[in-house]
Amino acid sequence: MTITRRNVLLGATAAAALGPIAARAQTSEVKIGVIYPFSGASAQIGVDAQRAFETAAEIINGKYDFDLPLARTEGLPGLGGAKIKLVFADHQADPQKGRAEAERLITQEKVAAVIGSYQSAVAVTASQICERYQIPYLSADNSSPSLHRRGLKYYFRAAPHDEMFSQAMFDFFDAMKKKGTKIDTLALFHEDTIFGTDSSNAQLKLAQERGYKVVADIKYRANSPSLSAEVQQLKAANADVLMPSSYTTDGILLVKTMAELGYKPNAIVAQDAGFSEKALYDAVGDKLEGVISRGSFSLDLAAKRPMVGKINDMFKAKSGKDFNDYSSRQFMGLIVMADAINRAKSTDGEKIRDALAATDMPGDQTIMPWKRVKFDENGQNNDADPVLLQYVGGKFVTIFPTQAAVAEASWPMK
Amino acid sequence: MDKAFIQRRRRDLILAAFLAAIAAAVPFFVKDVYVQNIMVLTLMYAALSQSWNILSGYCGQISLGHALYFGLGAYTTAILFTKFGVLPWFGMLAGGLISAVIAMALGYPCFRLGGHYFVIATIVIAEITLLLFQNWDFAGAALGIDIPVRRDSWLTFQFTRSKLPYFYFALALACVAWFVTWWLEDSKWGYWWRAVKDNPLAAESLGVDVFNSKMGAAAVSAFLVAIGGSFYAQFVSYIDPESVMGFQFSLLMALPAVLGGIGTLWGPMLGAVILIPLTELTRSYIGGSGRGVDLIVYGGLIIAISLARPQGLVSLFSRKPKPAAQPAREAVAS
Amino acid sequence: MTAETIIQSLASGLLMGLLYGLIAVGLALIFGLMDVVNFAHGEFLMIAMYATFFLFAYFALDPLLSAPIVAAGLFVFGAVVYLLIVRFAVRAKANTGMVQIFSTFGLAVLMRGVAQYFFTPDYRSIPHSYLGGKTISIAGIYLPQPQLVGALIAIAAFAGLYFFIHRTDFGRALEATREDAGAVALVGIDKNKVFALGWGLGAALVGLAGAVMAIFFYVFPDVGASFATIAYVTVALGGFGSVFGAFAGGIVVGLVEAMTTLILPPSLKTVGIYGVYLLVVFVRPRGLFGSI
Repeated sequence: MTITRRNVLLGATAAAALGPIAARAQTSEVKIGVIYPFSGASAQIGVDAQRAFETAAEIINGKYDFDLPLARTEGLPGLGGAKIKLVFADHQADPQKGRAEAERLITQEKVAAVIGSYQSAVAVTASQICERYQIPYLSADNSSPSLHRRGLKYYFRAAPHDEMFSQAMFDFFDAMKKKGTKIDTLALFHEDTIFGTDSSNAQLKLAQERGYKVVADIKYRANSPSLSAEVQQLKAANADVLMPSSYTTDGILLVKTMAELGYKPNAIVAQDAGFSEKALYDAVGDKLEGVISRGSFSLDLAAKRPMVGKINDMFKAKSGKDFNDYSSRQFMGLIVMADAINRAKSTDGEKIRDALAATDMPGDQTIMPWKRVKFDENGQNNDADPVLLQYVGGKFVTIFPTQAAVAEASWPMK
Repeated sequence: MDKAFIQRRRRDLILAAFLAAIAAAVPFFVKDVYVQNIMVLTLMYAALSQSWNILSGYCGQISLGHALYFGLGAYTTAILFTKFGVLPWFGMLAGGLISAVIAMALGYPCFRLGGHYFVIATIVIAEITLLLFQNWDFAGAALGIDIPVRRDSWLTFQFTRSKLPYFYFALALACVAWFVTWWLEDSKWGYWWRAVKDNPLAAESLGVDVFNSKMGAAAVSAFLVAIGGSFYAQFVSYIDPESVMGFQFSLLMALPAVLGGIGTLWGPMLGAVILIPLTELTRSYIGGSGRGVDLIVYGGLIIAISLARPQGLVSLFSRKPKPAAQPAREAVAS
Repeated sequence: MTAETIIQSLASGLLMGLLYGLIAVGLALIFGLMDVVNFAHGEFLMIAMYATFFLFAYFALDPLLSAPIVAAGLFVFGAVVYLLIVRFAVRAKANTGMVQIFSTFGLAVLMRGVAQYFFTPDYRSIPHSYLGGKTISIAGIYLPQPQLVGALIAIAAFAGLYFFIHRTDFGRALEATREDAGAVALVGIDKNKVFALGWGLGAALVGLAGAVMAIFFYVFPDVGASFATIAYVTVALGGFGSVFGAFAGGIVVGLVEAMTTLILPPSLKTVGIYGVYLLVVFVRPRGLFGSI
């Protein structure tokens, strides 16, 4: 089932046409607002996100034999089998538009909850609007740590934030050092956005605490036409580990420029983003054998949990891509939210909020390597353990932490 | 002074008062906050475009860097409020004054530049400032400034749900910008500006102080735009460099005036009333598809209007200056 | 900072600068001919890059081989844009300057939308080509082959353009039309035809640049935005109306960009470019080689 704008416009007619069974139920559907960039420079993320959310909605609304909340039942049993209906809105990466769309979804579409938003700047304003209307906002994939520290009551994040991600990287370095690998110097390479700034701040702090020397800290303008001067500086610094926080566009250019300027670091440990995107590996995968990226998802989990592979196949049928760090978090975002609405047995914002706060979902009932989903008083899930993945032979394998690892890290990279 | 001219000016004033009164009544009939949000933005862009029109339309100095003043207004208010506890009303005034001073300081070297050199200089100056703010830690750098929302109050100009205070402020700002334009049109400056726009060399020889009249236009224009920026910071309650100083703002200030009629009294208003709802509605109702259809519609319309009506849409009403604002606004409300 | 770092930065800057010049020269040509700034210039580059990408993806044609095809395609496209849009914009009875800016700006938005509609917003790039990823190393200084060949193509294109404008009949017609469009009509030159060919030629040059760029850069609907501002500054720095100015402007921009990163944080490198532009026009209000 695809939910298009036209269906939304047709409103009741479309709803009746889409689900004759749902129409008989008491509350036939629960609307959830999904705000993403669907046009502009990051439209690709929004379009992929749409498929991930649709996959999650399909599993919730249909009957599937997965050990995942709401999979085995049709719709939300707590609300008499009501179906989840997604309403997508385009925020074009503009905080003002994100805010306006969140408000429109709440007041016109009467959504019970809002999920977003890729760009952290948009999450700031959209979650603020949700707070004002007492509607829960869930960050599916925003990783800026400042978001959950604003004292908002209706803000939730099931996935890790940048400090947790960076911590995992440094835990990994410590572990490698114990085994005798030489890791003393680091080079940070990050874009000048919220994402890049937060990521590098966390990394600088951790490096200082744990005694690593940062020999280059290069902040560059996102979507640069050329990165040769930046790469030149990275090469001159010649750190043991290069740590990029870059999106797909700059990631591709970075790797190509490194090859052109003859710079081959011992290891690259990336803050996800572009380094988990298929587009980047399609473009420069041959130069990235052995690159390590943090993530919150790994397909090799499918060996332990077969449903992960099956759900991935469902997503792939829609999008032509495997789940990555973003789409998997988006998928889980809707599952967590729907689970709370189901337990709240209501579409009332405050009741859903209380149900979210009481969430305690065991990790093996997710598609993630997380311990569990349980929110602290700020709405952050601190049990979402990040993993480190290494790109080997055209796919990612988990190498850290040890309990989730399926392979040893190969260091240095080829 | 010829009689027809005085008559036209009086008619304009009456019409403006009439339209403002109608606009002020609209929120009593339109309760939907999304539509109210569009109306606030429409009035804000009308005010911004009207202010831009003073420098670029009347005085002929095409600026595509007015986002600079918009951003300075927004940042001044937000920094003063969050770091020093200064109420936004004072911040607004400070932002306006700072922008006016900066506009004159920049005007000093820039007004010697002609045509496209001037346009590109305005673009790059705004871009440089954006980059500096993006790297200025005190002002939050890329993280921007999150203005904490406390209680509803006119003092801090914060309202959690109600759009009405913002609506009336934006309406007032649009009225002020319109009135300033109306008043300047018939002042010494107004004549100077038109003379400068038509032929700067001839104007100079007729004793017009070309340089200072450009400086005056820049200061007035920047002051009003900065007030709009301050308003925006309070309205959105979060700002970051890209979202208040980006090039798109400079374009969004110019577009309504160009579509409505550049260098005309009513052009910016008319342009904003058509363009802003169009932008918002295309994004909201066809943008969620992710197929870029909203861009196709929006881009196509800009081409069509600018080719079909080079004098701007006000020329449609040149004989009978009947307001075009009404039908368009009602279409949004329904 | 070692001497090697500085030399490498200069070399990279020079190569990139020549490419900036190649991207910008079409803009300069069109402006010089008819005083129109094409605000969709970045989008012309975008479709050229897409064309190169799809010729590679479907016909396995290397960017070097497809460059002439792309340039020819863009030639047609540029001429069509002139005949369908710009021709009417320059005819406008009022506010011609603004009508030109905004009709081409509308075209830019439209082209981005159409690209997203047909090509999806995915980032694409050509994974392997004759030159992709290859590099020449001389005494520790690396010269990437795509940029090196791009720079050579840029020099050849400028030389060809110079020859074309000064030595061929059409070039002379172009110059004459530029100087006095009214007078050429009297000697039987169709102004519209000359302008259409001028637009075609300008677009073909962007097409050439796009084909080279596609070797080492990614393509997506908004890719033009990164280069458009630089192209405008390049043309203005060199001086509007001067094709040679665009060439020189490109080199200056490339070198300044590379040198700025040695002094300022890389995130501020465009500040260097913009700052130099302001400095130049404050001293020489018509750019380095401008005549208008």
